[in-house]
Amino acid sequence: MVQSKKQKYTFLAFCLVPTFLMFAVFTLYPLFSGLYFSFFDWSGSSQNKEFIGFGNYIKLFHDAVIPNTIIHDYFLVVTKVIGIMILALFFAVALTQLKIKEAPFYRIVFFFPNIMSVVVIGILWTFIYNPSMGLINSGLEFIGLENWTRPWLGSETWALPSLVLPSIWAGIGLFMLMLMGGISNVSKSYYEAAEMDGANQWQQFWKVTLPLVWPQIKISILYIVITTLNGSFVIVQVMTAGGPNNSTHVMGSYLYQQAFVQYNFGYGATIGVMILVLSLITVLLLQFLMRRDKVEY
Amino acid sequence: MNKLFNGRRFLLIGMLLMLALVAACSSDGDAGDGEADGDATETSSTPSTDANGEISGDLEIQYFVGGYGDSWWKEVIADFKEAYPDVNVIEHAGPNINDEMRSRWISNDPPDVVYIDGAGSSETQMVEDGQLMDLTEWVEGIELEGGDKLVDSFIVQPGKFDGQIYSLPLVFDTWGTWYDRALFEENGYEVPTDFESFISSMEEIKAGENIDPLVTSGQHPYYFLRGMLYPAFSAAGGEELLADLITGAEGAWTSDTTLEVMKKVERLQQEGMFDSGLGALNHTQSQMNFLLHENAFIPVGFWLPNEMANDIPEGFDFGFIPSPMQDPGEPFAIVPDLRPLAIAENAENPDAAKAFVEFAFTREYAMSFSEHTGAIMNITEVDLTENENVPSYLTEANAMINDPEQVQIYEKPHPMSADLETPIGNALMSLMLGNMTAEEFVEEAEKAAADYRN
Repeated sequence: MVQSKKQKYTFLAFCLVPTFLMFAVFTLYPLFSGLYFSFFDWSGSSQNKEFIGFGNYIKLFHDAVIPNTIIHDYFLVVTKVIGIMILALFFAVALTQLKIKEAPFYRIVFFFPNIMSVVVIGILWTFIYNPSMGLINSGLEFIGLENWTRPWLGSETWALPSLVLPSIWAGIGLFMLMLMGGISNVSKSYYEAAEMDGANQWQQFWKVTLPLVWPQIKISILYIVITTLNGSFVIVQVMTAGGPNNSTHVMGSYLYQQAFVQYNFGYGATIGVMILVLSLITVLLLQFLMRRDKVEY
Repeated sequence: MNKLFNGRRFLLIGMLLMLALVAACSSDGDAGDGEADGDATETSSTPSTDANGEISGDLEIQYFVGGYGDSWWKEVIADFKEAYPDVNVIEHAGPNINDEMRSRWISNDPPDVVYIDGAGSSETQMVEDGQLMDLTEWVEGIELEGGDKLVDSFIVQPGKFDGQIYSLPLVFDTWGTWYDRALFEENGYEVPTDFESFISSMEEIKAGENIDPLVTSGQHPYYFLRGMLYPAFSAAGGEELLADLITGAEGAWTSDTTLEVMKKVERLQQEGMFDSGLGALNHTQSQMNFLLHENAFIPVGFWLPNEMANDIPEGFDFGFIPSPMQDPGEPFAIVPDLRPLAIAENAENPDAAKAFVEFAFTREYAMSFSEHTGAIMNITEVDLTENENVPSYLTEANAMINDPEQVQIYEKPHPMSADLETPIGNALMSLMLGNMTAEEFVEEAEKAAADYRN
């Protein structure tokens, strides 16, 4: 029954080679071709392309819209991380620690947005924000706050903050489940010991729960950051298409506009390279900032 | 157990799996073509003419299906198949066809005939990329069914790039301003005849209906640019100013005439005529708002009634006027928006492609186009008045457009490049939302034009 070395390596190759080939075809190849196209002036619709060296990169540094798209992206990153983590942690603790009878029901309800397509979520919230028929303005009018009603997605000031709410709503469920998994792995005896030492619920949360689920929190934050930098494009494209007057453009949606609406595919590829570089820097920085020794009691 | 880990077998299974995955992931560029024929993947390079000189072989036609629907195309293609039984027509059609066919154009394997319309298509880009056939000489020889030369029978002549013709304008669309005639008649609202009466009409409507009277799609600011501002610029400064603005000529956007027009837009904003939520409205939402009487005027093209046919409230009666942005005493201005038919430079069957284009340009099909789509084909002397199947708004609009005392037609040299239209549209949206003055707008637009020129 002992495997020969050859058999072992064949099995390993069977497992790894297809995955690596898939990774090479669907990740590495697009990555490097994106980098390659960023050095060309190309419409993306024909075979004609002209090598322009760093021309697109020079244009990138002079493009007045780019700094705003970066700010908008990081605004979404920060607000989403704060919003999702606070609410997901709150719900996770509530559903595991507070002995609520309907916990399984709430778990399904909170997870529900995660099984919906982001496009559907975007369209749904566009209706909710509709200035004349939407739930938000109607609700504000109903409770007598007419002055607070506004064209949420149609305002240069309010459009970007308005995108935060659906993004948080759509993200809570998954991270709530991840944190619930972490919390349920914490041995009950720690809480009993803490209780005997006179710790109240709040202290138990800070001193027992939080340090022990830190690995899950860290992964969740990294995941939110990466998916926001790479994926906030969808919600922006569906809800505002980057407008009004570029006030909601994120890097991804601006890339799309340049590559597929304005036919500057080479420049779009350059924006793609910028997203990659910024995402890498951000993740490395976060890894460094969130490093913390594993806590064990 | 030992047998299960037999290396060769695993390798074989692995290779087969890989092959299956690669085959499953490969695209033939035709997937999801909506209405396209089932055998759309066949792209064999069959001869275009057989031994007798007859036209034969595969003919691939790409056409966008939007507000005008596809029934006219189906009719023409069916008739073409009857007339040319040896030609196998392969249709690539649908609302996203421009994106779906993009890989074919990039790989130099385009369809033979292309109708350039809808999102993801740009005639200017296609000409700049050398993707369209030069039709300048060929078009001179085409005649309509009565013997008239086609080049003399266009309502609007084909656009020219460096003096050459690369496409033939098939659809004569024009942006104008729509209103509900029934609502206006019932409440005695004035149908605008110039900018001042436009303002007074909207004041009446604001008071009577308690609504913001004017709506457009904020997600697509070029709707207002093409629908309201092109006519306004033309009425104020003629074709010369319009051409300078579209090509981004130096000083055109900061000229006094342009500023005067933009002051009118500023006035519309300051007097609260724009829908306060228009900044976020997309194409369909803005049109839906109009149908639901959330607003009274919308500047869009002839596609509106056909596209929204399933959502028109009972009693709604479409009325169309050219956008009333001109000063009192001046005729209305319209700037036609043409949707052309072209042949690919690398068409595999150019003879069949030319035969199809020639086949489609007839007065008979121009009449049936109006019946099917509620819009006008770009051919003169097509009498719509006697045809009961043509909607009344179209016959009226057609009569109006053909009366030079009422309406002046201004032609633009070619569509504005997306590289100029996008930043100008963004600044325009800011002006319409009240976050920018007319003076600031023209400065922004001039800056965008300077960037575009460089």
